Formats: sequence, C-alpha cells, structure tokens
Amino acid sequence: MRQRFGGSLGARGRETGTALLFLLPLFVLVVGLIFYPFYRAIWLSLTDKLVGYPERFVGMRNYTYLAQDDAFQQVIWNSVVFTVASVALKVVTGLGMALVLNNVIRGRNFLRGLFLLPWITSTVIIALTWRWMFDAFPGRGFLNSFLLDMGLLSQPIAFMATPAGAMSAVVIANWWRAFPFFGVSFLAGMVSIPRELYEAASVDGAGSGRRFWHITLPGLKHVIIVTTLLSFILTINDFNIIYVMTRGGPGTATQVFATYSYQVAFGQLRWGRGVTISIFVVPILVAGIILISRYLLRDRR
Amino acid sequence: MTRALTWIGLALFLLLILVPFWWIASMSFKTYEQIQFATSIYVPKPFTWENYTGLWMETRFPLWLRNSLVTALVVTLVTSVVASLGGYAVARLRFPGREAVASLILILYLIPPALLFIPLYRVLTELGATNHLAALFLAYPTFTVPFCTWLLIGFFKALPEELEEAALIDGAGRVTAFVRVLLPLAAPGLVASAIFAFTLSWNEFLYALVFIQDETLITVPVGLNLLIYGDVFHWGQLMAASVITTVPVVALYVFIHRWMAEGLVAGSVKG
Amino acid sequence: MSQRHTTRRAVLAGALGTTAALGLPRLGFPQVKKGTSLRMWILKTYVEPTNKAIEASAQRWAQKHGASVTVEYFTFEDMQTKYVAAIESKSTPDVGQLETGAPARFAGMGQLLDLTSFSRQIEGSAGKAPANVAPVTMLDGKVYSVPWYVMGAFWYVWRDAFDKAKVKLPGTFAEAKEAAQALTRPKDNFYGMGQSWNRTADGYGVMQSLMYSYGVGWADKNGKYKSIKTKEMQAVMKWATDIYTKQVQPADTLTWTGSGNNENFIAKNIAQTSNGPSITFALENALAKATDAKDKKMKEEALANHVALPHLGGPDGRRMQAIAMSMGVFKGSKDPEAAMSLIAHLVSPEETVMVMKDSYGQFAPVLEKAKAASKDYFNKNENYRTFGRAAEWFAPTGWPGPVTAAAAEVQASNVLTDAPAKVIVDKWSVDQAIEWEDKKIKEIYDTLKG
Repeated sequence: MRQRFGGSLGARGRETGTALLFLLPLFVLVVGLIFYPFYRAIWLSLTDKLVGYPERFVGMRNYTYLAQDDAFQQVIWNSVVFTVASVALKVVTGLGMALVLNNVIRGRNFLRGLFLLPWITSTVIIALTWRWMFDAFPGRGFLNSFLLDMGLLSQPIAFMATPAGAMSAVVIANWWRAFPFFGVSFLAGMVSIPRELYEAASVDGAGSGRRFWHITLPGLKHVIIVTTLLSFILTINDFNIIYVMTRGGPGTATQVFATYSYQVAFGQLRWGRGVTISIFVVPILVAGIILISRYLLRDRR
Repeated sequence: MTRALTWIGLALFLLLILVPFWWIASMSFKTYEQIQFATSIYVPKPFTWENYTGLWMETRFPLWLRNSLVTALVVTLVTSVVASLGGYAVARLRFPGREAVASLILILYLIPPALLFIPLYRVLTELGATNHLAALFLAYPTFTVPFCTWLLIGFFKALPEELEEAALIDGAGRVTAFVRVLLPLAAPGLVASAIFAFTLSWNEFLYALVFIQDETLITVPVGLNLLIYGDVFHWGQLMAASVITTVPVVALYVFIHRWMAEGLVAGSVKG
Repeated sequence: MSQRHTTRRAVLAGALGTTAALGLPRLGFPQVKKGTSLRMWILKTYVEPTNKAIEASAQRWAQKHGASVTVEYFTFEDMQTKYVAAIESKSTPDVGQLETGAPARFAGMGQLLDLTSFSRQIEGSAGKAPANVAPVTMLDGKVYSVPWYVMGAFWYVWRDAFDKAKVKLPGTFAEAKEAAQALTRPKDNFYGMGQSWNRTADGYGVMQSLMYSYGVGWADKNGKYKSIKTKEMQAVMKWATDIYTKQVQPADTLTWTGSGNNENFIAKNIAQTSNGPSITFALENALAKATDAKDKKMKEEALANHVALPHLGGPDGRRMQAIAMSMGVFKGSKDPEAAMSLIAHLVSPEETVMVMKDSYGQFAPVLEKAKAASKDYFNKNENYRTFGRAAEWFAPTGWPGPVTAAAAEVQASNVLTDAPAKVIVDKWSVDQAIEWEDKKIKEIYDTLKG
C-alpha cells in the first residue's frame, strides 16, 4: 500500500513513467492526426478562406459576421432543441432498456444483440426509413397507413408539415438510432454494481423504487455522465439524419450546426466561415467538459 | 409486479425496435413497382429476392462489404489497444497533468469530422496513404479513440482498487496487473467501447467518401450512396444492403456477449 | 494569316502554352502518348445504362490510343464535396464532368486549363453550342470546358386528371396554379401540384425558372448585382407562396427532399410537378417489368397518360434553369493533351449519340452535329420531342448575365428558396422576405472577390 500512496518520489516517478508509456500511442495519434488538423481549423476560422484560393487573415470577422447572422441564430436554437430533446430521450429510454434487460435472465444476450439493431444500421437508411414512417400519404407512410387501417384516424396526418413536426421527426430518428447504445452501456454499469448492496438493501426493507434510486442510479453515475456528455457532442454535430430527412427544412426549421456549416463550407465554398460555425459551439462545450472532467477525476478516491 | 413490468417493457422495446426494422426488411423483399406505386404496404406481395441478387451481382457490394469489414475490424483493434492503455493511465495512475490530458482528449473530440477532414486529408496525402484502406485505418481512430478512452476511464474507475493493490502487493508490476487483473474485469466496458468503435467505423461516410476514390476500395456507406441519385432511390437494394450489413453484426454481438459474459464469470471465480 | 487557315497544330500550341514551351511533341489532334493513364470523373446518374455507356465510350478511346482511363463516379449528392476535397488536396482528376456553375467557379480558382483554342477545334469537328448554353463554359472571355449535354427539367402532368376536370394543360406558371386549384381533392388525398422549395435542384432550380420567366434576375447582363426589389419579384413570390397558402399541395410538401416529388407523382398523389426525365424512365422501366397482360396494360396506360410539358413560362418568356454538363481539363493533369483527346472523343457526334441512346431522354446533346444526329431518337413520341428541346429554354444561373462564382453562390446559399419559406412558415410578409433575400444576395456579391 505504502508503495502506491506513500508519496515517495521514486514511486511517483515510476508511476509517471508507466503513465507516459501507456499514453504514448494516444499522444502519437492526437498530435499527428487530431492536433494538427484542429490547429488548421482554428486558423481557418480567422481567415477569409475560400475553396481554391489562398487564405488571408481577417481576425474575428467570421465570428462577428455570424453573431449578427439571423440564419445562424436560428441554427443555434435548432441545435439546442434537437440535442437536448434527443439526448434526454436517450437517457430515459436507455435506463428503461437497461432495467428491463437486467431483469431478464434467459435470452438476455440474445436480446442485447437484437436491441442493438438500430445502432448498427446505417444512419442514412435509418433516416430514409423514418421518412417513410412519417410520410403523409396512406399507402406510403407506415404510421398513417397503420392508424387509418386500425380506424384510429379518418384523415392522414402530415407529420412533417410544420417546423415542430419536422423537428420532432428528426429527434425521433436520432433518438431511435442511439438509445440502444445507452441501454447497453447502462446495463454494463448495472451488472458491475455489487449484488451485496442490493441484498443488504432488501434486508433493510427497501422497495424496488428505493433500490433503484439509492443504489442503481448512484452506481451508474459515471456511466450516465460520460455517455450523456459524449452523446451530447455526437448529437450536436449530427449531420446525416437531418441532411437526409429534411435538408434543414421546412425553410430553416431544422437547420443545425453541421448542416449549416456544410452548406456554407461546401455549397458556398466559404471555408473560413464554415469552420467558424462549428467552432462557435466549442467554448461552451469546453467549459462544461472541464467542469465535468474535474468532477470525475476528483472523485477518484 | 416487477415481472409484469419487465414483460411489458420488453414488449414495448421489441415493438419499438422491430417495427421500423420490419419496414426495412420487408422493403428489401419488395419489387421496385411495389415500392414506387405503393401497392403493398406491410408485407412484400409478391415476395422477391431480386434486390439481393441485383445488389450482389450487379453492384460491387461484396467488395464494399469486405472493405467495410476489414476497416472496422482493424480500427476496432487499434482503438481498443490505444484506448484501454490511455483510459487506464488516466483513471488509475497519478502523474502531473493528468487532468489536462483528460480534458484534452475530450476537447479534441469536439471538432466535427467535417472540419478536420480536409487538413487530415492533406496529412494522409503526405503520408501517401490516400486511395487505400490504410487512410481509413489512420483516420477513424481520430474519432473512435477519444470516445472510447473516455468510456474506459469511467469503467476503470468503477472497478474496486483493492484487486489491483492485491496484485501489486503480490509482486506483479503495473503492466501485469493491468493485463491480468484490470482488463478482464473491465471486459463489459471493453465490449461496449469495441462495439462503439466498430459501429462508428462501420457507418462512417464522409472520410470514406473523400479519402477513397477507387470503386473497388470503397466501403458500404459510400456504396449505398451510389444507390441514391438525389432524385431516384434504389429503395429495394438500399434496404437489402442494410439487412445484409446488420443481421450478421447482430449475430456477432449476440455471440460476443455470451463469450464475454462467460469470461467474466470465470474471471471472478478465479479472483 | 487568316484564322481559318490556322493548322490544328498551331491551335493546339495556343491551347497548350505551357506544354509548348516545354517542347513536347504535338502532331495533329491532341497527341496521346502510349501507356498514358487518365483519371476521369463523371456523374453517376439514376439511369445505369448511361453510366455504362460513358464508361464504354471512354474505354474505346483508351483502346484506340493504347492508353488507360480510370472512370470514377460522383453523384449529385456528393459532387460538390468530392470536387472541393480534390481541389484543396491537389488531387483533381485529369478530366472532369462539370455542372452549370462549376466551370466559372473552378476556372476562377485557377483550377481549369484554358481550352479556348481547343474549343474552336471542337466547334469545327462537332459544331457549336447554342448561344444560351455556351456562356456556361466561359469566364472573362475564355473557354474552360466543352459543352456536352443539357439535363433539362420539365413540367410533368397526369393527362387523365386534367381531362376529367376539363382543365387545359398548362403552359405558364399562372395556368398551372389555376389548374392545381381545380384539380385538388383533399378528401381523396389528391393534390393539384407538388412543388417544394427545398434545398435540392427541384427547389432552387424551379425557383430560378420562375424568376427568370417573370423577367427577374439578381444580376445584370454583365453579371453585376442588381436589386430584386421589383413588382415582378412580388408576383414571383406571390406564386411561390400561393401554392402553399391556397392548399393545392400536400401539407408537407415543403419538407420533401430529392425523391419526394417523383414518388408522389408516380404514385398519383399529385397532378403536376417539375422534374427531369427520371419519371419517364421509372414508368418505362415499370412497363418493361410488367408481369402479365393486365399489369402490362395498366403500365402502358400510365406511360401514355403522363405528359412531360416544356417547363412553365411566365410574362417574360419561357426560361428553364437546368444542369448544363460540360467537360473540363484540370490544370493538375499530367497529360493535358491526352485529356483533350479524350474529351474530343467523348463529345464527337458518334460517341455522344451512342451514350444518348442509353439515357432515357435525360441526355439532350448541345453541340450542333450531335444535336442533328439525335433527331430520330427524340422523335420517339411527344414527351421525347420535348426532352430533345431542353437546350432551347435553358437559362444559366445568374440570368441574364453569365454564370459567375457569385451567382453560383447565391444558388448554393439557398436564399432563393428560404425567402418563400419565410413567408409560408414564419408568416413574414412578401415584401419583408424580398427585402431579406435582396440583402443576402447583395452581401454575397459584395464580399466575393474574383
């Protein structure tokens, strides 16, 4: 024990050495393939880079332009709604899925694999499939056909006709694709919670609700935080679902960071501005991440 | 009570997952006319294999499949090694700048691939790796490793420290303790992270589109894109491709999970 | 010395100033070194036989010259991304197929070889392009690509729907709107029109056709910015928003993407829509796959029943914004002479006609001689006769001016279709939306140099 926690300089030094060794592959990757491109991205955001032309330094011009761009203001709002709604849905259903699977003894492995279907299916296919689900025409749209055939509707509903409807549709598609991953991660966390804790709680007369609240949730804290945070990042940068389902429409109702950045960078060829759109989101996230990583690391002992 | 809830929940989740997938699967067995003229909605009538045979014979789908598989497996392997080493170091070792390293990993992950890919493309061109699957082996870890490292940091932290300490006291070195004691215990985490890396590589589109031009080297998502012409979609073949690419992977996951679960039990008995 | 007597060799020397300076041998038509290899990028269209035909044509060239060609495809979806990535990483192909806005944009970046003299040579062998199409290949008086074909847009209608309601087939936007009102039967889920203002060519392309046909352009004849705050533009916006507010279209039309209008038209959910010949291709294909006599009869009727009208006209004429395809040589090419030789081969009347015959009407040749040779093919029926005339109504992006980088960016920025959407979705007034659109367009012209 003393060797590790005694604070002897030699032990500390050895540990640093091991850490360096373990982190070496990561560093090579980070410096070569992430750091350099990242640095380029930051630099580009400070230039008027147009595709095919050399860039010129323009300071903060792209940032001030976007701060006044009405289209960009809507993009920020759309991105926040899209991300918060689908991540929240994923956490809740992911927890539900993990709880259900945790209670299933026979066939759990099979179900766990089966439940991962949406996660494995190509995003483009998922987006196309959900378009068919929500299609307004009976005979084409699955939901409308089904509801009409069941006699639950007399006229079809144009699900994606309004901005709110279109936003709900892309949120649902994004959620459907990713919640199984949450479920599997949470389940892995649940399995690693020591049985004895539950047994002790049962002896103390705690019901299943209390056991969930006082044992399961705290036990899953790390997994929930990490999964949520990373899904938040993935979702806020999501491109495929929205691009395929709505192209940002109707109007600009579902235009988000990634689709707007893509339009500006590849359609309008304004790379400087396109990069800036994506970078705009970074400082906010960095703040959140530093807070959370502090919390995670401090929690070590 | 719990039982009833479990069954209801299970039924709901199964419906939720299987209904859209039923749609995908049934479409893959419909003729072009059934889809285009909306003649049958729920089931293929008549039932046809033409999308599968068309996909297999008329396109280069078998090649795309091979490329995707090779890429995903290599990337998953590389990612698992790099991420478990890094995750362990950040979670369990004390060294100066540990917090900074942890934050850095995550911050770098924030940059959307759409922005990294041009500079990255330049790096790969300089390395002479473009238009070869090696481009993807190098590029994909840029988004799989940060995520997986983070995931594993969480898993390593959740493991009881006493086990490792016991191993250290028994005279094992750090590396041995890591390989013998911690890795097996972190198996569920490793599986989750491998699934993640595999799936991200399996589905990646943008890098694969740009880094590889040779039609014999493209991956499934890029190949699927060749079935979408903006105006007209080869629906049947698209859906057939997605059935072919998902079902074996699901089977694989089912298998891996069983194997992993057994390994876990054995490990804990020994411990 | 008269221009007319200039030898091919001298013409080529002009075309290849740099190569000439290097003293490479040039004999006759662009010379091809044995064993040279080229990369060519072409559009992969929905008509698979066309792709195969182009690839075969390229291979014929390769065989003839003991060279090799690697054909790589892009689709409408990834065209821009692939070219942008290639330009920025300096891995452009030797020969590239270019859509309407691409020659001006890429030439402005200095990516394309000046083909002015070579194009004169092509004029001699394959004929000229019509005066409304030719400017697409030019920038500042120089030619950067060789026009090949126009992929037009047409106004598709179901004849029986019109007959039943005793409505005349439309020739103008105004007539189409009136017809849509007469044909819509919401109870039966049948709508008079399906025109989406989305971010695809079915959106911004039709919007430009509408504007140009009403005499509205955001640029003048010289390609300089011009205000669109006019009466005519108000009429344009009124048409564009009326079709939504009067509910003659399915409620979710604005959210449709690429395939929405095709599929809803073919499924007979809508009576009219603007589209390329892909609809005809789908119907012909369906007939070819008919299973029995009854099925065959039904498919034949559907095919006979669908009409591709010339794209709608307006008070100022009939102008159709469409995809004008041309072939360019990238400066990065290691063997520009071979690249030019390949282009000369592809655009020759014989080869063009061979590719066209496998195109289901989407490939309307533009060079005189190829056009003349395509007469029989397009005489197949009324729809094909309309397809064959695509180039006649063609108007480039940025009409009445030439295509410029700024005009192409206006299209890519989606302001053209976002403006009516602001009225339809966000309930802006028409004037507010025009004001907003005009401001955005002006900003693009002000901030884009070169």
